[in-house]
Amino acid sequence: MSFELDSVMVEESERHCALAEQVASALAPSIPIIYTADARGAARPENVADPFAAGKRRLVIARRNSPFLMGCPAGSARFACCGYLVLILASNCPMDCSYCFLQEFVADNPAFQVYSNYADSFEELDRLIHSAPERHFRVGTGELADSLAFDTLTRLSCDLIEFFQTRENLTLELKTKTDEIDNLLKLDPRGRVLVSWTLSPDAVWRSSEHRTAAPSARITAARAVLDAGYKVAFHFDPVIAYPGADRDYTRLIDDLLDILAPHEIAFFSLGGLRMTPTLKSAARRRFPSDPMLLGEEVAASDGRLRTFTPRRLALYRLIADKFARAGVKAPAYLCMEPASIHERVFGSAPPRSALLGNRLASA
Amino acid sequence: MSVSASAECDSAIRALAAERHLPESHLARWLAFDTASRAALLDVARRLRMRTGQLVASIDLLDEIAARDKLTVAAILSENQIRRVLMRGGSTPDRSRALVEELRARRFPTLRAATARLNAEIATLDLPRSVTMLLPRNLASDVLTIQIRTAGIEDFERAMRALAGKRDAIARIIALLGGDDCTSGGNDEF
Repeated sequence: MSFELDSVMVEESERHCALAEQVASALAPSIPIIYTADARGAARPENVADPFAAGKRRLVIARRNSPFLMGCPAGSARFACCGYLVLILASNCPMDCSYCFLQEFVADNPAFQVYSNYADSFEELDRLIHSAPERHFRVGTGELADSLAFDTLTRLSCDLIEFFQTRENLTLELKTKTDEIDNLLKLDPRGRVLVSWTLSPDAVWRSSEHRTAAPSARITAARAVLDAGYKVAFHFDPVIAYPGADRDYTRLIDDLLDILAPHEIAFFSLGGLRMTPTLKSAARRRFPSDPMLLGEEVAASDGRLRTFTPRRLALYRLIADKFARAGVKAPAYLCMEPASIHERVFGSAPPRSALLGNRLASA
Repeated sequence: MSVSASAECDSAIRALAAERHLPESHLARWLAFDTASRAALLDVARRLRMRTGQLVASIDLLDEIAARDKLTVAAILSENQIRRVLMRGGSTPDRSRALVEELRARRFPTLRAATARLNAEIATLDLPRSVTMLLPRNLASDVLTIQIRTAGIEDFERAMRALAGKRDAIARIIALLGGDDCTSGGNDEF
């Protein structure tokens, strides 16, 4: 799949960086490249009805001045967390899921930014390894951006995989809703790279996951990267409790297990649809007729709107039980849920975050 | 509705919104309803003398029901269940509260059914008056709160014995809060 761009803005100081030159060489000639002192400012859409959507069609190449590596922003003391570390090499996404938290998180930053100095992140990663050589870290690039969207243009995955190939206690997680795997198939991950897909039933994909690959295409892509030596994992997140959801999630898992054997899944995660009131307002304004935004969500103790608890837990258990019955013994976790919910769904208390992180990194 | 009647209706909505200090965002959403729906909500708001919070809640609920069920707000307000609330006896504040409750039930049918089922299970426990079982608000968590009011140790012991005698039934309620039997059977109906 490929995404349409209106323009590419490159910060003048980065004109000759490897990323800018790579993008310029791969870009269709019809798409203008603008070199400017303030690429982010130049990319800011003006006088358009939906600046957030317009920003998704503008690629910005600029330096990142903040650290690249951080703890997962979803982490909190109130939740049982998975120990995921986030490497921010890009921000925003050309796809447009109606429920996406980026509509709030990067609302004032409406362009797809890729950081020209991304290779500086490798030093941060090496410092991390040296600080805790006994641990195994799972580091992903798919939190503030899709890990593989625009990869045919940027080829970021190639440099990343080359770096991770030789770091024994690091696992790279490339999280995506695309089937943009061409670069991956040309490389040998040497057991250090995991590709994960967010999976939703067709009804959610059609209604809410605009410009993403179809669920069947994601599963096919998972099969292909698995055969090329990558590990694969799946995120059922957000799980959405719409009429017919039980049947559709059951079918989705059947479809997945038709293509992948139970032992081929490194891990899976579950997370319910959750929206702050601000996110919900933004999402409803942008997607007023999406029924997936109109389920039975109520305010939880952290202020986020979630499907009321018995219904949400019933869906989690349906998915977890379905995998268990099929013989999937891979680790599993819940995203942004407390330990008590983990215990209700999986029948045991969750491991500590660092331990679960180790387990998922070496799964 | 003629153009002038429609303008008159909008002007009356703006006046009521100003009087009630309705947030701008909610006034904008009210004015974005189709003409018949704008007028229908104005009629209800006037008849029930709805307060600001009730108007805000009603606009939120009506907007979401309309989007989900692909109906107009006017059509929702003319449904039998809603009309029964509007036409019934009682004070206007009571009817106004009842309308918001009815709209909430219409917006959250599975939640309403799950709550009713849990309340029915609690009622069958037949616990002493000193013991109260509280469900989490809107079933937004899985925690059941059990309150014991006591003025003496005998009261307390009686309450504890009653609770211990209902152990299995209480376990069942906790299991229901955790999602037992909350499958899509009910959810598929709306």
